[in-house]
Formats: sequence, C-alpha cells, structure tokens
Amino acid sequence: MKILGTITILLCGGLLIFFTSDFPDFGDPKSPASIHLSPYFIEHTLEDTAVPNIVTSVLADYRSYDTMFETTVILTAGLACFLLLRIPTKEVTRRYYLHEPTGVTLRFDGDRYPKGSNVFKRIDSNWVPYDIIINFTCRLLIHFIQIFALYVVAHGHYSPGGGFQGGVVIGASIILFAISSNLRASIKRLGEKAAAIFTATGVFIYAGTGALCMVIGEHFLNYSFLAPLLGTDRIMARSHGIFIVEIGVAVAVMAVMIWIYYNLSSAGKQDEGL
Amino acid sequence: MIIYIAGVLIIAGLFFFLVGSIGMIRLPDFYSRLHSAGIIDTMGLLLSMSGLALLILNEFNLGNFLSAIKIILIIVFIFLTSPTATHAIVDAGIRAGLKPWEKKQ
Repeated sequence: MKILGTITILLCGGLLIFFTSDFPDFGDPKSPASIHLSPYFIEHTLEDTAVPNIVTSVLADYRSYDTMFETTVILTAGLACFLLLRIPTKEVTRRYYLHEPTGVTLRFDGDRYPKGSNVFKRIDSNWVPYDIIINFTCRLLIHFIQIFALYVVAHGHYSPGGGFQGGVVIGASIILFAISSNLRASIKRLGEKAAAIFTATGVFIYAGTGALCMVIGEHFLNYSFLAPLLGTDRIMARSHGIFIVEIGVAVAVMAVMIWIYYNLSSAGKQDEGL
Repeated sequence: MIIYIAGVLIIAGLFFFLVGSIGMIRLPDFYSRLHSAGIIDTMGLLLSMSGLALLILNEFNLGNFLSAIKIILIIVFIFLTSPTATHAIVDAGIRAGLKPWEKKQ
C-alpha cells in the first residue's frame, strides 16, 4: 500500500513538473493573463463591482469559485488534523489538583478527583505558576486584536485585508488566550464542537450564498442577482455579496485555526496542554 | 521648525537602533543580548516613530492626522507588547535553567 502511494505521488509530481515547462515565464508580459485578464480587471473592477480593491474583487467575485474551494481545503485541513490527532480518552488516569487555601498539590489516580469543589483547582501536570505580567498584557490586548480583526474583515473592500486575514487574526487572539492562561480555560469558552460547527458554518455561508444566487437567478455565485433581496442595485449587490462571502471565509478560517491548535497543543487529548 | 524636531527625533531613534544592534552582536550572553534587543523595540521605535508622526503632521489635514494617530497607536501597542515578550523570553530562559554570564576571574 505504501509502495502504491509512493508510485502515485511520484507519477503525479513528475507529470506536474514535466508540464510546467509549457507555462509562460514568471512575469512574462506576453502571457495571455497579462494581455487579456489583467487589463480587464484593472479597468472594469470599479464599474462592475463598486469595490476599489482589485484583489478583493478578483478573489471573491471574478474567481469566487476558486476561493470557495480554498475554503473547502481549509475545512479539509481541520478535519484531517482532527482525524489524525484526536484521541478520545474517556478514562482519566491521573490528575493534579491544587488545594488553594494551603497551596498543597494533590495527585488523584483513577476517577476519584473532587468534582465541583470550591477549594480544589485543577492544574496541568507540567504546571508552572502563572506569570501575572504576561497574563495581564494578553488579557488587555485580546480585545484590541479582535476589534482589529473585525476591521480587517470589514475593510477588505478598501484596503489590504479580507476574510482569510481577519479570520487568522481572530484565531490568533484566541490562541493567545490559550497560551497566556491554559488550554482548558480556552476550551471552556470556545469548545471543540463549537469550533467544528463554526468551520462548517463558514463554508456553508459561502456555498449557500452561491446556491441562493442560483435559486433566485441564473449562475452560481453571481451576486448581482441578490439585488432584490439586499434592496440595492445590481452593482452594489455584488459588493455586498463579496462582503457576505468574506464573513463566511473569516468564520471558517478562525474556527479551523483554533481547532488545529487545540489538537496539536494537547497531542489530541484536549485534557491538558498549553 | 517642527520638521527639525522630527529630524532630531528620528536621528535619536536611529542612534538607539545602532546601539541595540551592536549590543545584540557584542554582548556576552542571552540575557544581556535580549536587553539590547529591548532597547531597539522600545526606545528606538518610540523616538523614530514619534519623529515620523511629527513629520507627517507638518502639513496638517485630516488624512495626515489619521496617519499620525495610527502611528501613535503602533507606538502604544509596541510599548505594551515588546517588554512583555522580552519578559516572557527571559522567564523561559530562567525556567530552562540558563545561568547568567559572569566575568571570569
């Protein structure tokens, strides 16, 4: 089976490398993309979509089909990490609890640990005392990071930014929270199931917008047919459609970042970790 | 007038950048090198960025004012995060058992 896989990969890779010689050179001014496509995008983006940022309109409108499958690839990456790494451990063998009034750490074997106790606080096996400076600074900054992420998502029409970048920034803020306190505190706020559901929701928002266009009008992901629903003219409807799609991408990317981090940092157990 | 103040600030910031980068190469161990890296992040960046904010405010209008506010926000956030990062790295070094350098007799 391994030999078969290796042969397949070598064959596909060899074919890909062989046929790249037919591609135009990098940055070739005479390539079809430079002659026909780029001038069209530069001249017509504003009148077609009312979006000043050409990159956003190419990414989410002219080539939105491509971006939809990029989002699907991200979903697949999250699922693959989950399936490869996650170890569902029902029976917990060993846990450490800190008795807060005295500062004594106790080890409990089996499942005889104190549930719902006020004086016992669960700690990780490689626990170190929390550093108050790092903890405070992270808690102070997470709000600003998340507001900035929303700005990046919403401002992708006018400046560098968009769904992928904004989603990564939100995901990074929650990972920062997990690093500065611990993994269990982060899982308590945004659990694994929520992350999985958010991932699927993001892809669903994207594909659902496309399907809605198909139900109303003609083509998949042709946002101008959303105009009666959004109450605008056809050009502004494309701008708004891009924004809806960007929100879907942001939700998917955020959730996948968090989900992969949970699985990687706790070696798939999600019981204790960074 | 304001342009000269901005120039002085930028040059002072560049001086701290120079000192910090020389220190990162020349100082003997991890902790003292991190100290000079901290100089670059705080003092050098504070002075040169303030100089840039003043320089852009030389011609005052709304766009330039917004740019200056963005620069000041960058200063504030770097001033919060960079010492924290330095602190965290030093903390990790001490927990990992790295001994500070001492001069050999």
